[in-house]
Amino acid sequence: MRLNRALALGASLLVLLGACATGGGSTQSPAASTAPSTAPSAAPATPSAPPPAIRIGSDGFYESKLMGEIYAQVLEANGYTVERNLGLGPRKVSAPALESGQIDLKPEYIGSGLGYYDKTKPTGDPAANAAELATILAAKGISVLGFTPAQDTNAFVVRKETADQYGLKTMSDLTAVADKLTWGLPPECATNPLCAGALKDAYGIDVAAQKVKALAACDAPIAEALQNKAVDVAELCSTQPAIAQFGFVLLEDDKRTQPAENIAPLVRDDYLAKVDKAAFSKLLDDVSAKMTTAELTRLGVEVAVDNKDIKDVATAWLKATSP
Amino acid sequence: MDLLAATFAWLADPAHWQGPDGIPTRLEEHLAICAVSLLVAAALALPIGAFIGHTGRGALVAVNAANVGRAIPSYAVLVMVLPISLRLNPEYGLDIIPTFTAMTLLAIPPILVNTYAGLREVDPDLVEAARGMGMRERQVLLRVEAPIALPVILGGLRTAAVQVVATATLGAIVAYGGLGRYLIDGIARQEDDRLLAGVILVAGLALVTEAGFAIAARLLASPGLERTVEVRPYRELGEVPRPPDLAP
Repeated sequence: MRLNRALALGASLLVLLGACATGGGSTQSPAASTAPSTAPSAAPATPSAPPPAIRIGSDGFYESKLMGEIYAQVLEANGYTVERNLGLGPRKVSAPALESGQIDLKPEYIGSGLGYYDKTKPTGDPAANAAELATILAAKGISVLGFTPAQDTNAFVVRKETADQYGLKTMSDLTAVADKLTWGLPPECATNPLCAGALKDAYGIDVAAQKVKALAACDAPIAEALQNKAVDVAELCSTQPAIAQFGFVLLEDDKRTQPAENIAPLVRDDYLAKVDKAAFSKLLDDVSAKMTTAELTRLGVEVAVDNKDIKDVATAWLKATSP
Repeated sequence: MDLLAATFAWLADPAHWQGPDGIPTRLEEHLAICAVSLLVAAALALPIGAFIGHTGRGALVAVNAANVGRAIPSYAVLVMVLPISLRLNPEYGLDIIPTFTAMTLLAIPPILVNTYAGLREVDPDLVEAARGMGMRERQVLLRVEAPIALPVILGGLRTAAVQVVATATLGAIVAYGGLGRYLIDGIARQEDDRLLAGVILVAGLALVTEAGFAIAARLLASPGLERTVEVRPYRELGEVPRPPDLAP
């Protein structure tokens, strides 16, 4: 607890410092640094005035930073001034930063983001998660914009040749051939309702009866084990770069057993009140709609494997996808 | 105290003493990887240590190399070996080969260094005397130096064995079985009783190993080395006790 508080404090200080340092030169600084959580009373900006600066934050890992950067560049391209506070840290830091008004926008996973407020709520239905999250956040003065088709959730993955050999596309296809495969499953799988529980209840696969190698999910060793045929089906994260790198096939979770983890921008209402809300939302919704799981995985390879700069990757992707 | 009670309840549960995840199976897996790693490490380190200890040649290189080996964490070895071994052999490259490699590399330095040091510590006068008696070098090594150095050499094996027994738990990270399974699974499942039971089992096995080598050292060590030999009073040859019936 003490460490988390220290982290949160440190991150808050950094955000404040950042806001002070960059705020001075900008003409919109009084508007941008209004007291946190005031009621959304400010009148919408007139079309002629430039929109006030928006402070965009993100969680600490590359995917969250990348989404934050993409939203930042879209807004910049449309006349917004952006202050970047990307990579704030874990949700325990970034969520309070948004709630307290230290940042105005952050990309969020609608499953884990919902679970942060209520562990029992996340479901496999993206729309339900987004709606539930919106209800909870409305009370905190935060809006949930449209979510991406892309999901970063736990997923079962096979090599392409295995998929071809048994005609595997969905998790349901696995049921019939489960006994013929070696499974790479995390050590907690047996007791995790989203792992062994989901496989048994939704797909009729009894993990205890399978040939299993216990390997942490979403990690490098399990991906290497899959690639080198030490296991045939492995639990990875759906946007893990290894999937694109090694051409693995992501099996569709057709019974929706895993919590939907699509990504949506969370924006403070007091900021939205200062801009043309409909136009602002449309800008971000349009770009979110183009981000698929495969695209996000591919960009992950560029960032995490090829070590390209997140800014460059975001710019190139926006250029390639905008008409 | 609740955790301790839960741990003993876990250990007492008959369900945890059978099947592929039962304690006997895990213990067997643990002992197997430890024994094989130790045997291979000994087969490599004993001859090398004996050679440099006997001749004094290459000591600087070998001892420093061993000490550098000591500085590399076993976890790092595991992670570095994994991609290579997976490519070489998908069936054993995931779990057995990386664990075996890491444990063998862990066991070599103490055995090598102690063998060398044990032989170096042998009184040079004894070695000279042995040579003076006409012993060949091999005989000097095997009949004079090795028996005298044995307690130190066994000490190296003991250190290696205890370290390997405790560290082989890392194998569970790369899907190997053994007692480490309880540690890794206990952490992943947030089952503290499983975790603590694993800790107790590993610590217990390490203590048994330590004790086993201590006993072996006592049994194998030459009686002339540490224990003082009882000296009986010298008797005159003529003083043979007479049978009582012949007494005058």
